[in-house]
Amino acid sequence: MKIIKKQITALMIVALIIGTLAGCGNGENAEENSSNISLYVGGTIFDSSLDPVKGAMSYGYPFTNNALTKVSPDSKYVGDLAKDWKISDDARTYTFDLREGVKFHDGSGFTAEDVVFTYETVKKNQGDNTAVDLSRLESVTADSDYSVTFKLSEPYSSFLDQTACLGIVPSDGYDSKAFDKKPVGTGPWKVAQYDTDQKIIVTANSEYYDGTPAIPQVTILNMEGDTAIANAKSGQLDVVMVDPNYAEETVEGMHIENLETMDVRQISLPVTKETSYTTEDGQRITVGNDITADKAVREALAIGIDRQKIINHALNGIGKPANGFTSNLEWGSAANFQDNKKQEAAALLEGAGWKKGEDGIYEKHGQKCQFTICSPTGDTARYQLGTAFSQEAKEIGIQVDVEQRTWDEMYQTAASIGIVWGWGQYDPVVLKNLFYSKAFKGTGTDNTVHYSNKKADQAIETALNAGDHEDAVAAWKKVQEVTADDHAYVYLVNIEHSYFISDKLDISLDTQIPHPHGHGAPVLCNMKDWTLK
Amino acid sequence: MREQEAAVKRVRAVAGFGAAKEPRLPLPKMNTKKKLILYVSLAAAYLLIVMIMGLFMDPELYGVNYENKFLMPSLAHPFGTDFMGRDMFWRSIKGLSNSILVGLAASAVSSVIALVLGILSAVAGGKTDRVINWCVDCCMGMPHIVLLLLISYMMGGGGLGVSVAVAITHWTELTRVVRGEVLQVKNAQYVKAAYKMGHSSWKIAKEHMVPHVLPVYLIGLVLLFPHAIMHEAALTFLGFGFPAGVPAIGGILSEAMKHIVTGKWWLCLFPGLMLLIAVMLFDVIGDKLKMLLNPGSGNE
Repeated sequence: MKIIKKQITALMIVALIIGTLAGCGNGENAEENSSNISLYVGGTIFDSSLDPVKGAMSYGYPFTNNALTKVSPDSKYVGDLAKDWKISDDARTYTFDLREGVKFHDGSGFTAEDVVFTYETVKKNQGDNTAVDLSRLESVTADSDYSVTFKLSEPYSSFLDQTACLGIVPSDGYDSKAFDKKPVGTGPWKVAQYDTDQKIIVTANSEYYDGTPAIPQVTILNMEGDTAIANAKSGQLDVVMVDPNYAEETVEGMHIENLETMDVRQISLPVTKETSYTTEDGQRITVGNDITADKAVREALAIGIDRQKIINHALNGIGKPANGFTSNLEWGSAANFQDNKKQEAAALLEGAGWKKGEDGIYEKHGQKCQFTICSPTGDTARYQLGTAFSQEAKEIGIQVDVEQRTWDEMYQTAASIGIVWGWGQYDPVVLKNLFYSKAFKGTGTDNTVHYSNKKADQAIETALNAGDHEDAVAAWKKVQEVTADDHAYVYLVNIEHSYFISDKLDISLDTQIPHPHGHGAPVLCNMKDWTLK
Repeated sequence: MREQEAAVKRVRAVAGFGAAKEPRLPLPKMNTKKKLILYVSLAAAYLLIVMIMGLFMDPELYGVNYENKFLMPSLAHPFGTDFMGRDMFWRSIKGLSNSILVGLAASAVSSVIALVLGILSAVAGGKTDRVINWCVDCCMGMPHIVLLLLISYMMGGGGLGVSVAVAITHWTELTRVVRGEVLQVKNAQYVKAAYKMGHSSWKIAKEHMVPHVLPVYLIGLVLLFPHAIMHEAALTFLGFGFPAGVPAIGGILSEAMKHIVTGKWWLCLFPGLMLLIAVMLFDVIGDKLKMLLNPGSGNE
């Protein structure tokens, strides 16, 4: 028996060694072809389907599929599969002229029929796709092979945003199951291999209408963030997304790029006093917070904290201080005020009747100026932002306790505590979610501060119903103006996305668009323009 | 059996039998029993001090201080600081203290469940015995960590979840041991003789049963500790235990994992050692208590 056992052990060891060597061999093979690259851009791209009909890669840039429009590096909508478009005076009819001579990966030609098919399929299965909102779309018809008309049931100025987020799939070759892994589109990249949760290999589409990508093959790998850094150090990756915490590391042959985003981090502060509230499904919950309901407290925090210091502490100095939505968004209009005004903050609080206690924390009628904020579990950067904010608040004399909870727990309690939110999208409808009084439901993510302001509601309705793009943008800006003084949300930072980039690789910074929410995949937005030196 | 042999050997070694070349500590001459008591009290004192330090610690000591990010171990910070500038020494002590508290709760709850079920099962016999044994088999049949995860998740995670999960899953083995012991004593000649002589059940239980079952029970209780602490740490490490703000060894270690790649060795080394030492000390205490309390070896 013993001898047999020994033999088995020996066999296993040999097998292991061979396995390891084979593994090494694979790595070498990958490096042999030096015109291909390997990337790590986080795990989110592996979490969901690649099918545009189910909301894949819906960030306003082409990857495997093209949408009708796309976002340009200066955050404007430009044509992609559409050459041009017209909006009727009543803002209910959108007519798109389509690009001619574009081919899908399977060789079939792109026509208006494919657009109709894609939009109708998504409209039918809206539940599968949270990235585009077609609820106001009444009908979509093909006028000719290269012209398509959308009719809306009521004006919806955000419809153009939706057209940038929905990649077009071929009407003939669409296969809901196969497209999860290997979508067929008109985009610059074709999926050559898809290993669930491990890697996606894409190859360049040599017939791409906007020029063949310079890099023939790209491997997108899935791994843990720290493993990715170890792999980068051993020279196996060309692009590595990193947490700001790691950005001080040096990796030989790579340099760090902190790319511009339109993603902001803000802390919601409920504006109403604590009350009991019954949600639509009959749950009784507490909404409001007695401390943050005091406008002086919210304003003291907004003007008193030192945003740059928070960024230095929590994010290694990576990111820009923010007072609102960023100026790289067409509709973004941040409040204009200086922060780190500790004395003014103190004056505000004292003016509102708060007295400083012995421990340096303000009190009023025996109640301490203290509340809780939450950050989602697993997001270390947001937790660090929360604690850095708490330290600044303490210097003002406000005690902020920071906790980590799961998203589900936070949706339940969001209306009574502060939450470290992150918002970053081209679509201005986010403002409706934040400020529209009727959006409040007690739970979830919409208007958790229970904000209610007639002027804001009017401006939001005007913006949504606007026929003209310029009018909509103006109305959205007005929403931000009329809400700014209430400081229902304390904005902290416009984050930047950090990546280690191989010195041999040029990721064409000029054509990168400001990254939307979701650190990781947005760096792929212009991968077609990347070149190896 | 092997364990017993090993224990006997160890006792002999400590007492100076057999292995003559065993190096001796320059301690005043004591008999084995006194030495054992000394070991046990030293180990218990260490754990008690850690627990009390943690209980009455000023949270400022392990608070966030971004100015001191990633400091190497030094005199000011013996265990270094982490990515939020928190002092790892105080954080580890507080974490270990939390673990010991959870262990304490677990031992208290689990051992009471075990005592009640064990005695009930042995005394009542029949269907009760079968039902209890079935429960024990059920619990032991499932991988322990999975059971812990399920309970903790069901309770909503956090400190409560991990405490409840650890507290109500550690009774199975001790139940079996108590049941076996009571069955054995129940059928012993002298117990039967006592019945025949007309002693009351209460007196028999007090005079004949308890002295036999108590040592086993106490040792079982102490030996539950290391399991409970390890399981708490494991649950927190996997993200189902204490939330990130609460110092806990499991949480510290899972955070440290992310920074090993960048060479922050002190983040995992010291807290890991602390946990290891605590668990080993409990094991030592249990082991020595076994020698002291077990009527078979108590007088060696």
